[in-house]
Amino acid sequence: MSGNARDHLAAPPYDPQLTDALSWFKATFEPIPLLPGNIQENRDIVAAITPTLAAAMERHDGVVSSERVAVGPRGEIELTVVEPVVRTEAARPAALVIHGGGLVLGDRFFAAGEAIGLTERYGAVAVLVEYRRAPEFPGTAPVEDCHAALTWIAEHAAELHLDPERLVVTGFSAGGGLSAGVALMARDLGGPRLAGQLLGCPMLDDRDATVSTRQYDGIGVWDRTNNRTAWSAVLGEEPRGEVSPYAAPARATDLSGLPPAFVDVGGAEVFRDEAIDYASRIWAAGGSAELHVWDGGFHGFAGFAPEAWASRASAVATDSWWRRVLRLDGAGPALVPAEEGAVALGGDAAVGTGAGAGADVGAAAAPPVAGPSAPGGEAARGGDAAPSGIA
Amino acid sequence: MSTTEQRFVPVPFDPEVAPIVEAMGAAPAMSLESILASRGETGSPFGDPAELVKGLPITLEDRVIPGPAGAPDLEITILTPSDLTPGEALPALYNIHGGGMVVGHRSWETGRLLDLMSRHRVVCVNVEYRLAPEDPYPAGAEDVYAGFVWTHANAASLGIDPEKIVVMGGSAGGGFTAAVALMARDRRGPVMAGQLLLCPMIDNTGTTVSAQQYRGLGTWTREANDLAWTCVLGEELAFSTDALEYAAPSRATDLSGLPAAFIEVGAAETFRDEDVEYASRIWAVGGRAELHVWDGGCHGFDMYAPEARISRAALDARDSWLRRVWA
Repeated sequence: MSGNARDHLAAPPYDPQLTDALSWFKATFEPIPLLPGNIQENRDIVAAITPTLAAAMERHDGVVSSERVAVGPRGEIELTVVEPVVRTEAARPAALVIHGGGLVLGDRFFAAGEAIGLTERYGAVAVLVEYRRAPEFPGTAPVEDCHAALTWIAEHAAELHLDPERLVVTGFSAGGGLSAGVALMARDLGGPRLAGQLLGCPMLDDRDATVSTRQYDGIGVWDRTNNRTAWSAVLGEEPRGEVSPYAAPARATDLSGLPPAFVDVGGAEVFRDEAIDYASRIWAAGGSAELHVWDGGFHGFAGFAPEAWASRASAVATDSWWRRVLRLDGAGPALVPAEEGAVALGGDAAVGTGAGAGADVGAAAAPPVAGPSAPGGEAARGGDAAPSGIA
Repeated sequence: MSTTEQRFVPVPFDPEVAPIVEAMGAAPAMSLESILASRGETGSPFGDPAELVKGLPITLEDRVIPGPAGAPDLEITILTPSDLTPGEALPALYNIHGGGMVVGHRSWETGRLLDLMSRHRVVCVNVEYRLAPEDPYPAGAEDVYAGFVWTHANAASLGIDPEKIVVMGGSAGGGFTAAVALMARDRRGPVMAGQLLLCPMIDNTGTTVSAQQYRGLGTWTREANDLAWTCVLGEELAFSTDALEYAAPSRATDLSGLPAAFIEVGAAETFRDEDVEYASRIWAVGGRAELHVWDGGCHGFDMYAPEARISRAALDARDSWLRRVWA
């Protein structure tokens, strides 16, 4: 697996509805490949386009934020607590929201969009964590900060009016890998009990040995080169000796006893195969996991092209899982209305297998939604619809 | 993890699915005798097609079409929007029913098709085929392939756009769907717009972890599966890697050049791992596939637990993929 060995494996093609957004992502977030010598330059690029918290919260009047500080093994950790303005009588679900950026880039506000969404959709208290990044803080430093944040949330359950039985860890890309690591740590160290772990296009495996990493070498976003650079910043150059599973969860040999996992990944990205393997190993150990792999999806596609059909369907599946793990009733987002000329089954659930009739997501109850427009519009360019983070 | 029992702890069922699986567990297990005894039975446990479409703007037509060369004719049911206009050419779903290749009838899956007809303006062709053990491999596979070729050839008269035929099926029907895709590729037959595989039965070897996890458990147990493969392939080839790929598509060594695949399966069933592997092997050769594994879903969860949240979400995912392959 030498760094320059390019196998040129045939790669699954991108969904045509996603290619504009892919180009935009590439030009905006990854104008230069991530290399050991330009991590700071890449940090500056990401920082320049990450909306401030104030900007992210504009037009979200039902949501407030506050700044808090947890203490971890390496000192203070900044937290931002995002919660509904109106405090319900019932204790609220909570989420630790961990940002992406390949463990080397980005800050907690990169994931502000996801935190705001969880608060608005589920009435959740969402906590953003400013974990220490590699290479300055390598190895398990990032995941230990995240675990300290989780502990902080559990310790402040009463003050934050949280339901400790409905605490979930979530993140995309590096945030997904860190979420998996936090779940492993919480299991092994007797940490807070988690109701679920959402692993969005998760960065789990430092070994760079899958088919999908060879397929997306120099292709797409968060390609093999970026990924190798990031892991080297975290764990040093290859060959590596023993690697902590908390730092690279794919290294874990025991995936039993974990909270229900939601694993969602693009079919056309480096992380495809490691995500599938992680879900498969949870099942093999008798654990609960849900896996969605989207045809032609690039890394983080759902956040960058939210209007594309695949992205909408990913949002629907994700929402379905949140409502199941948080034990919430009620309707999720509509996919799209039935096509013109489709047969109206009527409101009675007695027809069909029943799966379509009477469903919350049925067209009748849905607000009118236009068909997918060209991706890369305002919604795809940050702001309140900003993706929860990339690698 | 020291004992065999611990190694094969099953993934638990979804809380909305578990009571249904439990209730079904009371039914007697499938046997060769029960398979043969079912031949005389009529009626669908999932509702009579004529009753299901009653009052809906759908025309239901039973027809008989030619089978494979030298073989009996095939029965099909065609579901068409009643307001189809002359010259209109709609996307189509060519459905192959499930039942382990040993039981079942196309009428059982009318509801599954109606759910999709409620979201898409489509024509559905629902095909019957010969069952094992009376008619072992290749009878069923050749029947459903012949039906697909006929549907494609007669698209114009059926109101179908021949370039927008998606072949679909659940369980054995999913396995047959994968086989039809392989056969169409290899025989340079008609090109399908996509293959929609619902909990497909594709691997005869029973060697995966999930095939071990659902012994005596679930809506399609390991034991039922072993019996079905024995009926289809005979004792000698039942679990052999020498089985042919049109019988057990997991045996195919080349998965390149196939139509876009949609693969859906429950996490709590026998077929989980073989279905995940099939998707992975399609991607590995640069092909198009989409994979959805629903947490806690038993085999055929959408039909047994249609109101469960995972069933409704699964339908949304299918709907989305169909829009994309028909775009």
